[in-house]
Amino acid sequence: MSTTTYGWLVLAFPLLGTIAIGAGFKRLPGRSAGWIGTGTIFLAFLASLGALISLQGHAADHRQLTSSLWSYASTAGIDAQLSILVDPLSVFMILVVTGVSTAIHLYSVSYLDSDRGFVRFFAYLNFFVFSMLLLVLAGNFVLLIVGWAFVTLASYLLISFWYRRTTATAAGIKSFVINVVGDVGLVLGTFFIFKHTDTLDFLKTFSAAPHVFTSGEGDLTAGCILLLVGAFAKSAQIPLHTWLPDAMEGPTPVSALIHAATMVTAGVYLIARMHPLFELAPAAQDTGAVVGALTLLIAATIAVTQTDIKRVIAYSTMSQIGYMIMGVSVGAYAAGLFHLMTHAFFKALLFMAAGSIIGAMAGEQSLDRMKGFRRAMPFTFASFLIGGLALSGIPPFSGFFSKDEILLVTGELGGWHWALYVVGYIGAFLTAIYTFRMIFRAFFGDPVAEARELEAGHLHHAEQPTNPATGEVEDTDVGFPGPAHAIAERALPMRVAMGLLALGAVGAGLIQIPKVDFVIDDFLRPTFAGSALYEPHTRNGLLVFGLILGTLLGLSGIAIAWRVWVARPGIAPALRERFAGAYGLFVNKWYFDELIDALVVRPAAAVGRFASNTFERAFVEGTLVGGTTQIVRAASASVRGAQTGLLRYYAALLVLGVSGLGLYFLLQT
Amino acid sequence: MTMLATTALKGPHVDFAALSPLIALLGGAIVVLMVGLLGPRRLRELFVPVLALVALGASIGLTIWRWNTPESVISGALRVDRLSLTLNLALAAGGIATVLLAWRSRAVREAAHGELYAMLLTTIGGMALLAAAQNTIAVFLGLELLSIPLYVMCASEMRRERSLESGLKYLIVGSVGSATLLYGLALIYGATGATDFSGIANAISNDGMASNAMVLSGIALCVAGLAFKSSVAPFHQWTPDVYEGAPTPITAFMAVATKVASLGVLLRLFDVAFIGAQSSWGPALATLATITILVGNVGALGQSSLKRMLAYSSIAQAGYILAGVVVSTALGAQATVFYLAVYVFMNKAAFAVIVVRERETNLGDSVHALAGLGARAPWLAWPMTICMLGLAGIPGTVGFIGKFQLIHALVSGNYTWLAIVLVVGSMISLGYYLPVIAAMWMRPAPSPAKAGAPGAIPAIAGGSQDLDDDDNASDDGSDGDGEENASGRWPEVAFVAVLSGATTIFFGIVPQPLFDLVHGVGSALGLM
Repeated sequence: MSTTTYGWLVLAFPLLGTIAIGAGFKRLPGRSAGWIGTGTIFLAFLASLGALISLQGHAADHRQLTSSLWSYASTAGIDAQLSILVDPLSVFMILVVTGVSTAIHLYSVSYLDSDRGFVRFFAYLNFFVFSMLLLVLAGNFVLLIVGWAFVTLASYLLISFWYRRTTATAAGIKSFVINVVGDVGLVLGTFFIFKHTDTLDFLKTFSAAPHVFTSGEGDLTAGCILLLVGAFAKSAQIPLHTWLPDAMEGPTPVSALIHAATMVTAGVYLIARMHPLFELAPAAQDTGAVVGALTLLIAATIAVTQTDIKRVIAYSTMSQIGYMIMGVSVGAYAAGLFHLMTHAFFKALLFMAAGSIIGAMAGEQSLDRMKGFRRAMPFTFASFLIGGLALSGIPPFSGFFSKDEILLVTGELGGWHWALYVVGYIGAFLTAIYTFRMIFRAFFGDPVAEARELEAGHLHHAEQPTNPATGEVEDTDVGFPGPAHAIAERALPMRVAMGLLALGAVGAGLIQIPKVDFVIDDFLRPTFAGSALYEPHTRNGLLVFGLILGTLLGLSGIAIAWRVWVARPGIAPALRERFAGAYGLFVNKWYFDELIDALVVRPAAAVGRFASNTFERAFVEGTLVGGTTQIVRAASASVRGAQTGLLRYYAALLVLGVSGLGLYFLLQT
Repeated sequence: MTMLATTALKGPHVDFAALSPLIALLGGAIVVLMVGLLGPRRLRELFVPVLALVALGASIGLTIWRWNTPESVISGALRVDRLSLTLNLALAAGGIATVLLAWRSRAVREAAHGELYAMLLTTIGGMALLAAAQNTIAVFLGLELLSIPLYVMCASEMRRERSLESGLKYLIVGSVGSATLLYGLALIYGATGATDFSGIANAISNDGMASNAMVLSGIALCVAGLAFKSSVAPFHQWTPDVYEGAPTPITAFMAVATKVASLGVLLRLFDVAFIGAQSSWGPALATLATITILVGNVGALGQSSLKRMLAYSSIAQAGYILAGVVVSTALGAQATVFYLAVYVFMNKAAFAVIVVRERETNLGDSVHALAGLGARAPWLAWPMTICMLGLAGIPGTVGFIGKFQLIHALVSGNYTWLAIVLVVGSMISLGYYLPVIAAMWMRPAPSPAKAGAPGAIPAIAGGSQDLDDDDNASDDGSDGDGEENASGRWPEVAFVAVLSGATTIFFGIVPQPLFDLVHGVGSALGLM
């Protein structure tokens, strides 16, 4: 099979899964929907491996293959084709997406076992994977936009999966609205570029770009910044990030898959894919780098103060994606994508472990209520610890290599990029603190009642299920979580999924060790062949300095966390008192929600109310719509009135018609 | 003297191969008529429709055989080219659907199977003749051959008053239309001295007759005559009455096939024969198209009878298609034929669903008969939904591509204002297409135990003995059963619905084969 055939297969399997599960909605017995979902994604993973092997069989300069299934419209200067681009970058992305998705599907089979929406969940989840694969395999802007919008939709459906929870539906709407802002950015950006290149195909655009654009040209910069708006919304970068913490209302596997490993990395992929354009628009690159750096720092400060375990991980995700966005914006493409991969492993693992604890807490997510789960849940603890060490950048775990490589490239650029370098290491220090704050608070100390109950061999279940965020009383029917909770210690599929990801979190970093091996660099080189930024010369001193600094900051962060939350528990409240201002800022998430509320939501609502009361009611409804419908209705009545059913009237009109026509034509003589 | 006699006796050369699609139809009609007279009833009811299908299938096969060999036959009276062959395909496809819809209907039993199907094949033959006509005699011959069987077919449920009324009205109005056309053709012959299109075109373009009063009067009468046939406003008024009264399978046939034939000949007559006077007739046809689009769409609003609604909808669609003729460019001709072809599928599904509901409920063709269909018979509700969306021109269906093509042709032919009218018409059309969808999916099914039995049909002289037997037999049988398995009892009708719906979606996603099909049409007419 040709390489692109594998590419089509990668798309076909999840789509088939969605259709099969969706169509068999009422008939699929037991867990079969889950196994169909997992199986199709695993097949897609195998097809991705096939694409990888087949791609490596081509010569290095022939590894960008496109294939068009059919041309939807090739008219009026638009070449909208259903075409995919299989190159090292897209193969890298489909491997990550299908690999992590397989594990998370497997995990979900147990995690949502008792949920009444089990089948619907897998139909959505497969649809999401299909959309994400479409996004990364798209060979032109049209298909990219389609995939981009499908992902938005899938994310909305999955966040609002428990649709009777008001908090979940509100979070879904928030996510959808902010992502649509991003979609609009992407579409407008595409137009700015299309206007000059006259093609929607990626490879043609990239080869035309150096000829039609001069470096820093206004339209190109505008186009790239609009693309960045799309990237920021999907990747939850400031100021379009507020949907991501709220998205934690979705089931935990959704948080692991969509809001940690895949969807939120779409922005990183977009910038890497569009690198020939971004390299011609330095202003857009700088914007991306600065926003990434700001996000990584701000999100890390918020993560230190949050108490909802999933939200802490969500802010951590934002922060880590800030690193990636910064990386690909300064030209550290391989490093950014390397971090994307390792992050997918360890962050999905952290979410899964958090899901396991939440299961043991019967749905409770607050760190304030968790304590001492170390002995009750040894497997979960080990997984969480591995994920945490990788996240904190402790050697030899994967995060250590990837994060430091981004910062190394940033530092080498010199100039004002040093500021980004410093911010990156401050972020790394904070990362270690908040990560081990979670670990120490959830797993150390005196066990809480739930942990003791579990040690005694019984999984805690609340007498009355409630919404953990608001305390509202719920039942366990469709639209709310199911009655039973799942923990990794008791469910084999969850253990297998977490085990696989733990292997990735430990070992994935070893494939690209500075000065030792360069698997990612070499593999991705054909995609970035035209980039001047791709092969920076390495300064050995900076490299060694960075590796040591990263290790030290990580270890000292862990030490501080130990001191504050284990050794001397009194310190935390004291610090809160001492730095009340900063604490208030962080715990209220830098007031971004309030800021957006005041700057966007309220004015827009006020304008909307005004328009609705005056313009809409008086002008639109009264005059335009009302007037038009009146006219149409009157015309309709008169047409029907003329339809008397009597031939003599018809004959009269006929004579009139013929005379009119005859008169008209005779006037032409 | 002898020389004169021999020349007079020497007929034109007839290329039977090129005529074979037409011969298959007309020969099939004769065979069907004969077989309909023979044999026991069961055999008759099986063989006649099957033979009709065979004739139509043979016509399709022969059409494909002649696909790449365009030629003029019988001294240029007919032109077998891409345009006529493409229209043949659409007509025969419409014919096959009609046979399936009519198979077990009251109309065929009432008029006896042989007669109705023979007339159906004859009228399709007339349409094929019309689509290929290249001189005015052939036009008139084709038109009459298509019209006269149709008048009879409309009245074929001869014991139902509305069916008779429908046939009579159609006969009277149709005769006026034919007479008008004939008068117009006569005037043109009188002015130009030619009956064949190229001679007329030559006279108009080269002999400076483009502003000759006689030619222009003739064109005016031709416009009016063909406007009757294709129900273009203000000559449309027979349409709702006739469509509503005629048996539904016949309505389904008329709605699509008559349009295909009459707009096809309009395309050839105006874009070939009268092309030199385009500046005169262009604005007139554009105005008629505008009036038609508006009247059709506005009239369809608020109709509770589905057949009446579809009648107005077909008027509006005729307006859209006429707009494609107006631009008289190759692009316009392609868009016209494309739309004609897709129009066949979209309407067939809708009528198929009406046929099933008429047989299963006693609500007739009222929109209420569709209530709750989505839950009970999704295999009917989906095609209906798709076709309503297709007729409205929603993206994803082939109706969108068709309208897009028309708009593209209009805009590039400097008729942007007409494109705007088309879009406005489509907007209004949502006002009557969407309520049908809403009725199927959002309204609960009516309780079965209401509305009395349909009025007993009087036995009159000339009625079919077969049908009387059926009626007597069903009196003691149960009438109200079978509500649940709608598509189960009428598999051939459900097949038409599902296939049409699937085609509408398929070509909406993969339009390229249809583009290829109509690609040669513009050049066949010699248009730029």
